[in-house]
Amino acid sequence: MSVDTTTESAPAPKKGTNILLGLTLLGLLLFLWLLLGLSTNAFWTPNNISNLLRQGAMTAILAVGQTFVIITAGIDLSVGAIVGFTSVIVAWLLQAGVPLWLSIILTLLIGVAIGAFHGFGIVRMGLPPFIITLATLTSLRGIGLLITNGSTISISHEGFTNFSRADFLGVPSLFWMVILVAIPAFVFLHLSRWGRYLFAVGSNKEAARLSGVNVDRTIYLAYILSATCAAFVGLLLASRIGIGNATQAEGWELQAIASSVIGGTSLFGAVGSVHGPLLGAFILATINNGANLLNLNSFWQRIITGLLIIVIVYFDQLRRRGSR
Amino acid sequence: MSSLEELSHRHEDEAKLTESEAVPRGAPILELRGLQKKYGLVEALKPATITFLAGEIHAIVGENGAGKSTLIKLLTGVIRRTAGEVLWCGKPVQLATPNEAISRGINAVHQEVVLCPHLSVAANMFLGDEMNRYGLMRKGAMERAAQAVLDDLGFQLPAAALLGSLTIGQQQLVATARAAMRGIRFLIFDEPTAYLTRQESAQLFRLIRRLRDQGVTIVYISHRMEEVFELADRVSVLRDGTHVGTRLISETNENELIALMINRSIEQIYHKEKVPVGKVIVETRGLSGPGFSDVSLSVRAGEIVGLYGLIGAGRSEFALGLYGRQPVSAGEIFWDGAKVEIRNERQAMELGIALAPESRRDQGLCLNLPIGLNINLPIFRRLSSGLTIRRGDEAANADRQIRDLRIKTPSRRVLASAMSGGNQQKIVIGKWLSHGARLFIFDEPTVGVDVGTKAEIYRLFGELLKQGAGIILISSYLPEVYELADRLHVFRGGRLVASHDHRAATHEDVLTQAIGI
Repeated sequence: MSVDTTTESAPAPKKGTNILLGLTLLGLLLFLWLLLGLSTNAFWTPNNISNLLRQGAMTAILAVGQTFVIITAGIDLSVGAIVGFTSVIVAWLLQAGVPLWLSIILTLLIGVAIGAFHGFGIVRMGLPPFIITLATLTSLRGIGLLITNGSTISISHEGFTNFSRADFLGVPSLFWMVILVAIPAFVFLHLSRWGRYLFAVGSNKEAARLSGVNVDRTIYLAYILSATCAAFVGLLLASRIGIGNATQAEGWELQAIASSVIGGTSLFGAVGSVHGPLLGAFILATINNGANLLNLNSFWQRIITGLLIIVIVYFDQLRRRGSR
Repeated sequence: MSSLEELSHRHEDEAKLTESEAVPRGAPILELRGLQKKYGLVEALKPATITFLAGEIHAIVGENGAGKSTLIKLLTGVIRRTAGEVLWCGKPVQLATPNEAISRGINAVHQEVVLCPHLSVAANMFLGDEMNRYGLMRKGAMERAAQAVLDDLGFQLPAAALLGSLTIGQQQLVATARAAMRGIRFLIFDEPTAYLTRQESAQLFRLIRRLRDQGVTIVYISHRMEEVFELADRVSVLRDGTHVGTRLISETNENELIALMINRSIEQIYHKEKVPVGKVIVETRGLSGPGFSDVSLSVRAGEIVGLYGLIGAGRSEFALGLYGRQPVSAGEIFWDGAKVEIRNERQAMELGIALAPESRRDQGLCLNLPIGLNINLPIFRRLSSGLTIRRGDEAANADRQIRDLRIKTPSRRVLASAMSGGNQQKIVIGKWLSHGARLFIFDEPTVGVDVGTKAEIYRLFGELLKQGAGIILISSYLPEVYELADRLHVFRGGRLVASHDHRAATHEDVLTQAIGI
């Protein structure tokens, strides 16, 4: 009557599919690079690759934060607005003569506060995540415009603006920032108990609660992480364009959600990883970059992105159904 | 002609039954030949061959998980069969969709009412089949017609009232009336009396007999033996997904049916460990909260305390209150003789309370996550060093529970949703065994679980008792609590209405106290 322990080596569905999807996405990314390298001379130039990595970096960081929220079966529509808003905040602080390190910390704390507000709306007020984050999306842009009186604040701090153009070991500093976020994010999601709690809350709140998981705190945590990632991207964007402007990063929340979904995150919750959204973000960046190089009408980029989402998620669904 | 017959004729005209579909009373109307249903590797219904005759009341009995609901779903086209043949009026049919079943006149009244609570009774009865004139709904005409049908059936229900304002039992009667006026030829009742009062049950039985006399074939699913013997002409028994026999009611008796249903003696299943009873672990005094009031009881080490009552009698609510899931409005809890306040689940767990909740699907498991994660969920804090989880320990604990509980899975990484009901219940139990507790609350632990697993779960109770734990066993299946509980408390309307020692009262007494007549 004992369970045959040799069956322990049987295929492990969860892990197996995760790696499979990761490899498929990596394959797709390399395929796109190869294709663009063959069809245009401009693709495999150091300049273009750096540019591509910079373009993808910011979406990638947003997508990682977004993924935490989506794993809990929520959504964070405010991240684009937070990027614009925090770019205004940091520009404003620097303009007011606040030291750089303090400006950065304060800006990140604004992100924490916005995330905590989302958590409050969802946990205490019982609002759906879609609604509360939609509300902050519009109001944050409004507050940002109020602060700047509808214009932009330029940033004269050279160290700050030079950062985004700098390279380290031949790799753009913005891409290093992705790694700086991705490694702790991976440890958090896949190796720590809080990561497990995110999955449990996304799968079944009540079961998680009855198992002693602090569901409310887990939800707060997810939204705070997402908003803080967005505030971090706000800093990077301000550094890159040298201004603070509340209307920047329009629609980036959708880019982040798309990257996450392409990376295998399920909008129903409880399915997701850190590497998936990163790959998703760089696939989207490559499509943008390639379309530019090939002189495709920029409207085509949007169409291709939409089709790609449908195709990838459809095949992912087929695969999941098949593995049952 | 009564208004019910008028309405059902309206339907028959539309359906335009062909001559060949007419079946004389007593001849086979629906024949199942080797009907089988598999979910993945799990065989929910082993090849079954059953014949239903026109104009009979055919009861189907079997325990939870015996395959009754699978059979209903197959007959009503909700799921598709894996193998086998179905003959309707002698001709092979697919029964692939609910619409096909309905168009042939096969209908079901489910235990849980699947109607729209925000619409009126009349609107529900005519839903999907409204009376129209010039494209506009004839609300008044429908209400009058519905009222006529309800009066005709003797139901005394207002056709204009919102469905949601009726009791569950009354809604059930509306659902039945709805099915009865659709020109049905084959009507399946799935445990229809679960929520009905005596009076409502009597009304329902009158309607069922009347339909039978009109030539409708009735399939009546129940595990209440007395109803089966009161109503049915023939009875088929299912056990663990197998059709084990069909009998004429006049040629069988209750003992034979029970023997067929469980295929082993009551003593073999309800194996009860003799464990010395120790000190009181937990005591409640006048505990009140949402859905229960003034409950005083105690649990000692080494004993099983059974809570019996109908669904909604307040047993589960009491358990959730004790576990800190719902706020307690009055009363006191004593743990090891000291007064405690339990405000949330975490506090309950830290005291040493474990809860295997009523619904595995809604409360017990994270179904789309791996078995291992589910088992370890309460103890990740203990499995962590600093920031990260000790992955080796995590795997070892999951594998140990899978081995000890004989959870049938190739790996801890398989999703919980891929498991059968019995194995899912074992995962829920494994979760609390890893956590370790001194008071285990099991809420309906054997619903949807096969007999073999049931016996395993009961044996496990014995193990827990030997280790000095106490158990609260909540069940609406009387034999289970009756045989296992050292002390049996009966709940009705949120209150504890009676208490008995082990086997001190008769089944009838306990039932009467639970129903309250």
